Order: sequence, then C-alpha cells, then structure tokens
Amino acid sequence: MTSISINDLSVTYGSGIQVIDHLHLEIEEGSFFTLLGPSGCGKTTLLRVIAGFIEPSAGQVHFGNIDMTRLPAHQRGIGMVFQDYALFPDKTVFDNVAYGLRARKIDGPTITRKVGEYLERVGMQGFAERYPPALSGGQRQRVALARALVIEPRVLLMDEPLSNLDSKLRLQIRSAIADLQREIGITTVFVTHDQEEALALSDQIALMKKGRIEQLGSPQEIYQRPASAYVADFIGAANLIQGEVQGPPLAAVGPASEVAIRIAGQDLRAQATPGQALSLGCLIARPENIQLLPAEHAPHNSLPGQVWRKQYLGHKTSYSIELADQQQVAVDCFGPARHEFACGQAVCLQFDAQSSRVVPR
Amino acid sequence: MKRSFLPSIWTLLSLLALALLAVFLLWPLLNLLGTSLALSGDGQSGWAQLIDDPKYLRALGNTLLLGAAVTLCASVLGVSLAYVTARFDFPGKPWVAILPLCTLVVPEVIVSQTWLMILGNNGVLTLWLDQHLRLRLPSFYGWPGLVLVMSLVYYTYIYLGTLAAIRGFDVQLEEAAQSLGTAPGHARLQVMLPLIMPAVLASALLVFTLVVGNFAIATLLGGRVQLLSVLTYLSFISEMGTNPALQSSLASVSIAIVAGVLFLQRYLVGRKRYELVQGRSAPSRKLRGVPGLLLGAAIGGFILLSSLPLLTVLVSAFTESRGPVMQWGSFSLQNLSRVLLRSPEPILNTLLYGCIATLISLVLSVLISYLVIKKKNLLTPLIDYIAMLPMAMSGTVLGIALVMTFNTGWLALSGSAAIMVLVFVIRRFPFGVRSASSTLYNIPNSIEEASISLGVAPLRSFIKVVLPLMAPAIAAAAVLTWTTIVAELSASLVVYSAGRETITIQVFRLIETGLQGQAAAYGLILVLMTLVPVLFCSLVLRIKVF
Repeated sequence: MTSISINDLSVTYGSGIQVIDHLHLEIEEGSFFTLLGPSGCGKTTLLRVIAGFIEPSAGQVHFGNIDMTRLPAHQRGIGMVFQDYALFPDKTVFDNVAYGLRARKIDGPTITRKVGEYLERVGMQGFAERYPPALSGGQRQRVALARALVIEPRVLLMDEPLSNLDSKLRLQIRSAIADLQREIGITTVFVTHDQEEALALSDQIALMKKGRIEQLGSPQEIYQRPASAYVADFIGAANLIQGEVQGPPLAAVGPASEVAIRIAGQDLRAQATPGQALSLGCLIARPENIQLLPAEHAPHNSLPGQVWRKQYLGHKTSYSIELADQQQVAVDCFGPARHEFACGQAVCLQFDAQSSRVVPR
Repeated sequence: MKRSFLPSIWTLLSLLALALLAVFLLWPLLNLLGTSLALSGDGQSGWAQLIDDPKYLRALGNTLLLGAAVTLCASVLGVSLAYVTARFDFPGKPWVAILPLCTLVVPEVIVSQTWLMILGNNGVLTLWLDQHLRLRLPSFYGWPGLVLVMSLVYYTYIYLGTLAAIRGFDVQLEEAAQSLGTAPGHARLQVMLPLIMPAVLASALLVFTLVVGNFAIATLLGGRVQLLSVLTYLSFISEMGTNPALQSSLASVSIAIVAGVLFLQRYLVGRKRYELVQGRSAPSRKLRGVPGLLLGAAIGGFILLSSLPLLTVLVSAFTESRGPVMQWGSFSLQNLSRVLLRSPEPILNTLLYGCIATLISLVLSVLISYLVIKKKNLLTPLIDYIAMLPMAMSGTVLGIALVMTFNTGWLALSGSAAIMVLVFVIRRFPFGVRSASSTLYNIPNSIEEASISLGVAPLRSFIKVVLPLMAPAIAAAAVLTWTTIVAELSASLVVYSAGRETITIQVFRLIETGLQGQAAAYGLILVLMTLVPVLFCSLVLRIKVF
C-alpha cells in the first residue's frame, strides 16, 4: 500500500507540445483516484508517467517516499489494466494470470493457489484453461484485473478499462472494480473520460484540462461546487447562463458567500467563487435545481421565459426555456409534475441561491 | 533533460541496424551512382557513352514498351480472373486457388526454359505443328515470348491484389447505387471500380517495376530485342574490372525508372485511399448450365496454361535426352541421377546459401520492422527509408553495386560465399520487413506494456510476448523469403564465382549450352525445394503463405 506524489511534473513531446504542465498531485494511500477529462487533456500521459512508460521532461514521481522517476516500468511494482484488455492471446487464462508471478520466480504450488484465489475474486473460476479469444469483453477485463492484482502491486493503474464494454457490462465491471478495490484497499489511479464512472467510483477526482488540473476534489465537491464553467460543463449537465456580476467583484469574495448577477435585466442571487475581478460572469445551474412555475407566480430569485421545447422521458420531463435575452436554459422536472407546460407558454424559472453558482466567464 | 537508462537497448540496436544498412546497402548504392558520373579511361563518362550509342536508347525504349505491354496484359488477366472468382461460382472453381502456387514455386528461369521446350525453335509444339500441319510458327524469341511468358508469370500479383480488394468491398454500396436508380452493371462500374482501383493500380505498378528489372526471362527469351537489364549485365561481363562507368550509368537508369514508378505509386495510391468500413461482401452467384460450363472451361484452360511450366519440368526431367535432343516419350532417370550423383554442388550450394541467407534476412527484417514500428526514435525513419531501397534496384543492379564495392579494399568479399549470402539477404529482406511490419501493426502496444508492468524487462517482454504472436507471420515470411532466394538468378549471376553456382545459375548455363534434360532435372529439384516448404507451411502448419 503506497501513496503517490507527483511533484512539478512536466512532459514535453519532441515538437515542443507541453502535454503535462508543471503538475502537482498527492494521491492518498489506499484511495481510489480518478483522472478525468476529455481526450487530449493529458490524463493518459500522466498515468503512463506514473507507470514508467513515459519519462517526464521534468519533475518527480514518488511511491511513498521512494523516488520512482528514473526507475524503469518493470521494476516499479505496478499493476496495470488496459482499455483493450491486453491479454496474451496465445496463453490460457491461467497462464495470463500466472505470468507476473512466474516473472517473480515464485514456486509452482504458490502460483496455482494464488491464481485460483484471484480468478475466484474476479468471478472467473472455471475459466482457467480457456484462451482469451474465447471470452467476452467483460470476462477478458476480469481476467486482466486478476492478472494485475495477483502480483500484489504497490499501485493499481487503470487506463479507461470500461471504454470497450457495452453499457450493461460496463455497470457490472464497474461494480466489480469498486468492490475489489475496497476489499484489497490498494491505491488506485483510474483514467476515464466518462464523468458518471468517475463520480460513481472515486474517492477523489482530478479534472484535467490541457495538462493541468482544473479542479481536485471529492465527487460531491466537483459536482456541487464546480470551480469553473469548464468543470460544470464537463461533469453532468449544466446551464451556463451569461450575465453581469453585480455587488462585490468576484475577486473580493471569499468562499461560500453570495453574489448577485444580472441576467436579462433581472438580478439573481447565487453562490460566489473566487476568481478574477470581472463584471462579466456566468451563472451555473443544474437542470434539476431549477423550478419551473407558471408565469403569474413570479417568486423571489426568478427569471421569466417561454417554453421552447418539451421532451417527455418517462422518469422526467425535459424542458428547454428561452429567456428574454434569447439564452436557452434546460430544466428537468422529475416525477409526476405539479404543473404541465406547453410549447410557447410563458413560464418563470426559480433558481436556488444555494445550488447555483457564479463563476468568471 | 536527464535520461535514465541511457542509451537504451533499442537505441543500440537501431545504431547497429543503421550501421549494417549503411555498409552493405547505402555505400554500394552511392558507389554505383558515383561511378556513373566519373570519367572512364578514354575520358568519356558513362552517360556520354550511353547517349552516343543509339543501342542504349533503343533498349530503354524497348524496356518501357515491354513494361507497358506486360502490365496491360497481366492486368486484364488478373483483374478479370479476380472478379470472376470473387463473384461467381462455376464448375472447377476450387482449382483457381492453386494458381498462385503454380507461378510462385517455379522460378522464372525454369519457366522460360519450359516455354522454350514447348514453343522454342526445337519446341515440342513448334515441331509437331511443322510436321503435321505444315504450320510454321513465328519465332518465339523476342516480343511474342517476352510478353506471353512475363504476363503469365506476373498476372498473379494483380490477381491477388485485386481479389483482396473485391472481397473487402462492401456490397451495400453497390445496392445503395442501385436503390438510387442505377442499373446493376452500371452501378458496379460506377461504385466498385473507383474503390478497387487503388489496389489494381498498386499491383500493376509493381508488375511494371518487376518487368523493368527482369533479367532471367529477358535474357533467355529476348532474342534480338535489346533490353536494359540484359545490356547492363552484358556490359558488366565485357568490361568487368576495366571500365565500370557504362554499367553504372545503365544501372542508374534502371534505378531511376523503378524509383520513379514507386514514387508515382505512392502518390497515386496515397491520394486515393478510401476508408472501407467492413461491410457485407457480395455472395458469389452460381452459374449453371452453358454459361457456367463455358466459364469453367475458360478458367480451366487458363489454369492449364499457367501450370504448363510445372507439368513440363516434371515430364522433361524424366525424359531421356541425348545432348541437346530430347527423346520425348521415352522416360529414364538418367538426367536426375547425373545431376544428383555427378554434380550435386549447385544443389548443396543452394541449400547452404539459401538457409543462411533466409535466417539472416528474417532476423534483420524482424529487428528492423520492430524498431521502425514499435520503438520509434530519431534513427528509425532513416532505417525505414534505407531498408526500402533494394525494392528500387533490380537484381543485376544490386549485384553490380556489391561487386564494385566489395571487390577490393578493406572488405574484399568477391569470390567468397559471403557475397552470395549478402546479395540474397540484401535483395530479399525488404519483403520480410514488409510482412513483419503488417503483423506488428496488428499487435497492440498494450500487450507488451502489460508484460512490462508485470515485471518483465523490455527485451524479454518482446521475446516472451510479441515474438510468439509474430510466429505464424515469421513462418510465412520464412517460406516466401526462402522460395524467392533459391529462385534468384539476376543478382547471384553477377556476383558468383566458379564453384559457387546455385541451381538457377547452373540451369542458366545449361540452357545456354542446350542441355535441356539436365536443366530440367535441376529445375525439378528446385521446384521441389520451394514446393515442399510451401505445402508444409500451408497444409501442416495451416499458415497462409500468400
């Protein structure tokens, strides 16, 4: 069990492209840590630096207090799970899982016992003599997981392990990974571009953008208190409504204070985020945190609008509302609705000052 | 920037590969090009001699014309055969599968020899027609023989290339065109033709370069038609050691033509590459009744024509011969026993040089393709380019370059067995690189990384994990390399010295002296030497060779 610390890490490719940009990161011992971001944000590169497949141009990687930066990958004691499973197709499931143990010159009976134990842990007992091409995608990833864990690595590194699976299997393997990680308590770094996976699995999420960490926090923090429009947009659905910040400039406010923003001529109150002193801001509100009411209600902290589109989705109804200044706002109404609205109907949007935030544009 | 494991094992191997290629390939090539510019004893450069004598320009014209004619004939044969086999079922269709085998396992020199035995001045058919029908065939030497034999040898490349393209073609595109109101035949022409064209074009251009570089058929059947490759060889023979300028200039012309065509191919094919989503391939349509029989008969005749050299060599090896006269109809083991018992040296030489060269060539091509595809560094693009250079050099040209460079000096190899092996390796390893590369592309990097992450060092990971996955491809490449090496004539004929004859060289000399029976006996042994590994690989190991 090891913590991972990354200190002032940079990776520059030959043509001068900075893929990782002076990055600092502490990953706690035994935690499930997710690197989240769109493709090209540097998350896979960072994982591969931790694994030892890419050498950083500057900075250090430590496992615990051991400097790993110059250690070749095969001496680091990592367990790695790949997007395409990377099982050896010409070896049986048993031989795949035993591969790392044999490289460590462990005696035969111990290998047989441990391989059996880990195949059982991933629910693949009885498949030992099969060859990978005869397995389904989900089964292959279970074997890959057993192969990575059986060597009892210091850290478990997973590079988009669920991306090649169909949606139903993805949920199954996701739960299997979560259970195993909790059981074994191994420090895990998980790379994904899927925000739902990240929210479901992680203790901590680092949302990355252009080789830097845009926001670091627990799933709740990232979802409920996005630090920027980028984070809010990437995690879950969010309305980014543009307006002018009234009251104290954004730079001056501390955490958890309220600020007013003027949208389409109306002032709304919302949580403030420290940022630059600009009068232009953005109101972030999740579709499920906006109340849709008949126009005549016009309660406190609300904006008038008109229903533009309505989609009935069973467990919820999604509305698209056009504001007076032509901005579109998505609103979700769950369960049996108190009010039904028709297209073209005038409505009023009530914002919750606690759950909506103002960020610099 | 600090580097930890400096210099890595791969950097060292890259340097080694580059050094080998530089010494044994780049240096001879530059030497050849340089010599063509130098002045010879009488103060004339090779280029001046070349332009002064109209013979050389005529040979250049003939070579290009022959290239165009053979490419055209081979394309017509190859494309129609591919289309028919991909889209129709007819009686006898399974036999089409043996076609590539017929042309692949019979070396060009044997093919030429057998056609001479059939249609040459004393050929079986020539004599029969003359005696029984009083029909005098025009001389087989010159254009008729060249075009017929080369087309029958080279259509296979176009057939295989086109067949793969048609099989990969998504029939839904054709159906889409029909649904939009185009008639079926027209739809095929409009939709399928442009999509398979790059493959056809690529293989046609390859055939063109092969014709330009061809020596065996050209010299045996050329007659009075002068061709660049033959003149290059003759100028090498006549002026060996004294005036290398002319032969270098001639060789440079051939390199220029082939390099030009290869560039054209890259340009044309590179521009028109379509992403074909794997769709449904068309089911083949059953042809019954008269059309089916007609098609089956036509294809059957063609298969017979293609396999005629194979059959002829088999029959003539066992036919009694007295000097140059073949006693058709009376069989004996005399030819074979003479060849096997009295002069087996060419056979032993072929086995020895062939085995060593195949082995070296395989190691080199696996190493180079692995470096170029999986371990890219600053050197690997250079290695990649240099490794493709032999494709632009005909055998004769390569042989001349090597003899010129390693005749004297610190690395004098002339007359040794080493230069025989060297010429085989340099000539054939690029093909090994190609086939190894295409397999390596399909092995994801993650497999190797998985092994490394489990604690196995990089080089050992390659050996334990990647090499076993490449094994079938390596076996196929070994068989192909072997068959082409033992069939090699043009390059080895230039570098060999007395006592180091291979079978092909010996056959070539026997044909020149008219001893057809012995030539056929050697030919049969050579065919067996290629056929047995091919059959073993495809039937026993169940590995697709081509």
